Amino acid sequence: MQITGMLWGRKLLDLVEYPHSEVRGPELSVDEIKDMIKRHGEIFIKPVFKGGVGKKGKSGLIGRAKNITAALKEKERLYFAEHHHNNAVAKSDGITYEAAVPADHEVYFSISDNTNYRAPAMTLTHHGGVDIEELPPEKIAVVPFDPLTGLKAFHVSNALADLGAPTPIISPLVQNLPRLWDLYNNYGMTMLELNPIRMMPGKGGRYAPIACDFKCAFDLDDPAWKRLDLPPHVFASDYSEFEQEINQLRTYQGQSDVYIINDKGSITAPTFGGGANAMVTELLGEAATISSDFGGNPPYEKMNEISKITFKYWLEQSNVLFIIGGKANNTDIYETFRAIGDGLRSFFQTHGPRPLFVVVGRGGPNLIRGMGYLRDTLESLGLPYRFFGFDSAMSEVINYAMGINTWMMNGGKEEIMAKLNIK
Amino acid sequence: MHKQGVGEFPYYVGINSLSELATKEDRVVVLNILGKESSGVTPISHDYSGGNIVFGTGPGKSGKFLPTKTGKIPVYNSIKEGMEAGHKFNTVVVYLPPAGVKDGVAEAVRTNPDLKKVIILTEKVSVRDSRIMRAICQTNGVDLFGGNCLGIGDAWNHVRLGGALGGNSPEESLIKGSVAIFSNSGNFTTTIAVYLATAGWGTTTSISSGKDVYIQYGPEEFLYALDNDDRSQAAIMYCEPGGYYEHNIQTDKPVVACVVGRWKAHLTKACGHAGSLAGSGDDALAKEKWFMEYFGVDSIYTPENPVVSKKGALVTNIADIPEALTAVMKLNGKEPDFKSKGSLSLKCWFGNNQGLNLPEEFDLPVVEAISPYNEQVAALEKQVGAQYRRETLKDASGASMMDPKTQISKIHQTSILDASEKTFEANLVFALCHEYPCEYGEKIANIALNMYVNQHGMATLAAAEASREAGNSPNTVVSAAVAIVGKKMVEPAMDAAKTLVELFQHTKFSDAMGEHDYTEQLKAAEAHKGALLASGSDHCADKMSACLGDGAKSVFIRFLLDFAKQQGGKPSTDAMFAAIWVTLGWGGMKSKKVTKNTLVNLPWHSRIYSTIVGVAASADRHGEDNLCGVKLEDLISKFSFTRTAFLALMGREPSDDELFEFQVLLGLIITNGPGTISAQGAKGAVSADGPEMPGRVQVNKAFIGFLTHTGFAHGGNGYEAAAFLIEQFKDTSLKAADDKNHGLDLDAMALEYANKYKTYKAEQKAIGNLEYAKVPCINHPIFKGKDVNFDPREEFVGKLFEGKGINNVFLDYYHSIVNALFKTKVSKNVYCVNIDAVIAVILLKMVWSEYKAGEMVEADIETASFATFLFGRMIGCAAEIDDHTFRGKNMDTRTPASKCSYVG
Repeated sequence: MQITGMLWGRKLLDLVEYPHSEVRGPELSVDEIKDMIKRHGEIFIKPVFKGGVGKKGKSGLIGRAKNITAALKEKERLYFAEHHHNNAVAKSDGITYEAAVPADHEVYFSISDNTNYRAPAMTLTHHGGVDIEELPPEKIAVVPFDPLTGLKAFHVSNALADLGAPTPIISPLVQNLPRLWDLYNNYGMTMLELNPIRMMPGKGGRYAPIACDFKCAFDLDDPAWKRLDLPPHVFASDYSEFEQEINQLRTYQGQSDVYIINDKGSITAPTFGGGANAMVTELLGEAATISSDFGGNPPYEKMNEISKITFKYWLEQSNVLFIIGGKANNTDIYETFRAIGDGLRSFFQTHGPRPLFVVVGRGGPNLIRGMGYLRDTLESLGLPYRFFGFDSAMSEVINYAMGINTWMMNGGKEEIMAKLNIK
Repeated sequence: MHKQGVGEFPYYVGINSLSELATKEDRVVVLNILGKESSGVTPISHDYSGGNIVFGTGPGKSGKFLPTKTGKIPVYNSIKEGMEAGHKFNTVVVYLPPAGVKDGVAEAVRTNPDLKKVIILTEKVSVRDSRIMRAICQTNGVDLFGGNCLGIGDAWNHVRLGGALGGNSPEESLIKGSVAIFSNSGNFTTTIAVYLATAGWGTTTSISSGKDVYIQYGPEEFLYALDNDDRSQAAIMYCEPGGYYEHNIQTDKPVVACVVGRWKAHLTKACGHAGSLAGSGDDALAKEKWFMEYFGVDSIYTPENPVVSKKGALVTNIADIPEALTAVMKLNGKEPDFKSKGSLSLKCWFGNNQGLNLPEEFDLPVVEAISPYNEQVAALEKQVGAQYRRETLKDASGASMMDPKTQISKIHQTSILDASEKTFEANLVFALCHEYPCEYGEKIANIALNMYVNQHGMATLAAAEASREAGNSPNTVVSAAVAIVGKKMVEPAMDAAKTLVELFQHTKFSDAMGEHDYTEQLKAAEAHKGALLASGSDHCADKMSACLGDGAKSVFIRFLLDFAKQQGGKPSTDAMFAAIWVTLGWGGMKSKKVTKNTLVNLPWHSRIYSTIVGVAASADRHGEDNLCGVKLEDLISKFSFTRTAFLALMGREPSDDELFEFQVLLGLIITNGPGTISAQGAKGAVSADGPEMPGRVQVNKAFIGFLTHTGFAHGGNGYEAAAFLIEQFKDTSLKAADDKNHGLDLDAMALEYANKYKTYKAEQKAIGNLEYAKVPCINHPIFKGKDVNFDPREEFVGKLFEGKGINNVFLDYYHSIVNALFKTKVSKNVYCVNIDAVIAVILLKMVWSEYKAGEMVEADIETASFATFLFGRMIGCAAEIDDHTFRGKNMDTRTPASKCSYVG
């Protein structure tokens, strides 16, 4: 759950009265745009992406305009712009008009929980406006601080002094940056970044630290972000329909983490345990439809719902239903396998039989009872299967499932269809 | 701000050696001890550790206790209350819900100055709470573990603190040895311990660190404590992406590191462990590099490329850990702790190809599971047949369904269209056995069904006839007869079926028509002579043996014959009857589709099937040695039950085409899902008997439930279309409905009718009557809206008949009618001819010759139509009865009073 850009960023900054540039949304009329240009001399036109999208400037997705013609041209170019970064593609839906901020200095600021210090830490540099990774360490201050007392003025002051920052920018930053800890701490953030903060000269030459871009991430396990009352569509692009449906079942009793790997995959693998999740998805690669972690001893009802949703989305295209985990410590295998078996039976009842090979690798409490139940279900559905105990290497079981998938693609599926009389 | 602990850490660490992590001296308090998770896991930890838990907390639960084998663990409202009761402890285990974890930890730290360790099991603790708890514990000199971890296990000290490492049998996984484990995954902590044992390595201390953003007890402090632990000679570290915890590690002892999760670099949000979301510098590749640099190796260890150094090895597959450790330890001059236990090769514990020809490499044989799981598997194998979980089956069924999109109903996942291509007897078997019989199966099913179809001299026939004479509808007539087919009437056959099932239930064969050595069963059957062998009064026993003995493929029939031979007797008629049904149901039971008790009930169902068909023929057609003039010997040995049903209904034998059409007709009627009144009647009758004690369910009464829930509107309405057609054709020259050269201009007839109908409709509308008569069996709420509409079920049957060259003038006329209605602008498009019309035209065709010859009047046609419906629907209702008996709950079809309404 992330927010990128000033459209929503400015509203969050307003909560702690942190200064930012004038930001207007796509609803602006031609006359209002003209007025904005007149007042600021220049405006930026930026696409609005939902979720976490970085490096827009490098991708040429920031427009600037000093007249209405240029502004409207940039609006047309950027309104539905596509942004490609690594494997991720994001599509803009709207633009913001942001006032250009004349500045002598650009500052980078962020707060995150730092695993080196196992504490929250501020990252600060007056060499801002660039990718922080591109700067040498000596130009960056990383300052851990006590979460019980929070980010204090002296943290900022000392850091800037150590960095040798120009004296005139220190005071306004010391005065304003600690407020951002309140935003970070009170609303369940795991990361907050302002880059750049443009130090705009004001009356008497005193600088104002104007936030010109905003990025933050929220902790899904901290309900504090709900206090912001942000509309659901702000986070909608983070999750597919499938993920959203599963997320509704998110409680602390049992995991229900899912991630779509390949919507054209052919192995659907309900996976149990974070470790198994890492390993299984690694080895299945693009053959997997989803990556999942359903461990943590989910109750029957929850696992059954999860199974039904997962099957609804993915079973139609799957060759292999692969139920996999290590030797469970506390997850009741009978309860989870019963829930999955019943979910599968229910799917067959409503959608009719599907050509499927079931592969299982698992250990844990009530293992044989659980395997017995699932076996009986598969027998009654007429599906072929192989169950492996925890004394079979998980990687070998994964390879077996991959092999079966290949066999299914090369005619096995048709053989099962014939057996099940599927036309 | 932190207290000064051991070592040179920039934060507080209190653990000097791994041997101090989980000791016999530790005394533990469990927060939320009676919660779902804790109450299952804590007793095992307590027992394994020799009783180390002093008390637990649960607000408002003071005075309660958690029972364990080692004794009761007292529960208090709060830690303060527990301490006031005199308890002392140094460790707190937290099972509180996420929102309460921080407060629980704060309470523990503030209340107990002796507190040294806090272990958080709870998942989904927020990052904010994690950093605050860390700060509190650091300030007060408390070591924190987790959250989302599974605690600590020590195989040497035989102590488990928090969580569930090793599951409900910790000894199985936590085997004493020389290797310490630190794992981001709780599951893998145990799994790695199990894997290590396959190479002869046991463990000292195993730590499940959790993999939230904050790992409170991390690799650096673990390795520090490893170096100070004389018991531990090496360590395994399982690590995932995210965080710099493994950066710049240092230890004096060898380490095998397993880093998994390169793919996680593609993630934009966490999946699995919350802290496994990496940035640019702490992804799996980066971590692999850190470890390789530390070990001084240039690549990842694999069995093909076994790269190790004295310092250790890096693997990316947990299965490679044992081998890599052995190689590293060899360089360090250390041998495994014990002889290897098992291997990690693929071992299939359960499997079934379901008859597929799998390639050799995938056709892995089922092997015996390791102890003690093998004993559990053996116990499981003793469970025979399907084991359904009982559930409320009001308006629900495990036997039938109707696809709302296609309107095609299914029985046991087979569409009625496909079922209509099967014979009546095959469908009757399928309804109960969930598998269609083979040719031999159909042959013996026909014998079993025909055996009891003649009701001459029986009370059933007398009851039916009395009911018929009293002017009852066909379903009421049949009900009277079925009421007499009570359990006692079939008990000997059911006993024989039960005996056969119990004698053979634990055998491996699933094909009852194959070869099986039943020497053992022949011996065991000695005790069941009474149930299997004929008494002197069993006059049919010889005939049955002769009829079934010749070329018997059935294991059970052969067994009975051999057993009788061994005993110098003959199998009883009931036993042979039972053997037929056990043969037919065996595959379904073995493949867990049907229950063991279904097989026992099959003879009862069979007698009811036969009775329903039998009494459809009036008493005068039941001779002492014949039915409708057909000798019983011929009927039993040569007739298919489909032919018998036709015979009982029409009093004559069908032609081949008629037989096929009749079979299709019966198939189409099988079911319309559990919502139909007939199915509801059957299910209600079962429900009222209390299926949770299935022996009390009266199968014949359940059939009566079905029968009484049919009537002139449900079952008899097929006649409506027949009556319409009679009206159209009664004055024509049509003699046989299959005659292609009938000489009638059907289109002209239809047009004439359509014009008349148009006038009629206009007149009725003009006088404000919107309830005017509709043309029956055309149009459909689903199959409508196109220029020309078709009911796919009618299309299917049409093509089926076309393929066999079967003609039906009534069906052709129906197609003419829908076109004529369109041409005369009665309808806006060409309506479909729906499935009910198909049923009517097949039926009318069957009786047309008799009708034209004056041998049948319209009332007879209506009766025949109704009886035909009962034949077909009894297939579906038999399936519902069996399904509800073994899957439903007592009185589960009732409607709560709150859902009922008074409309008076």
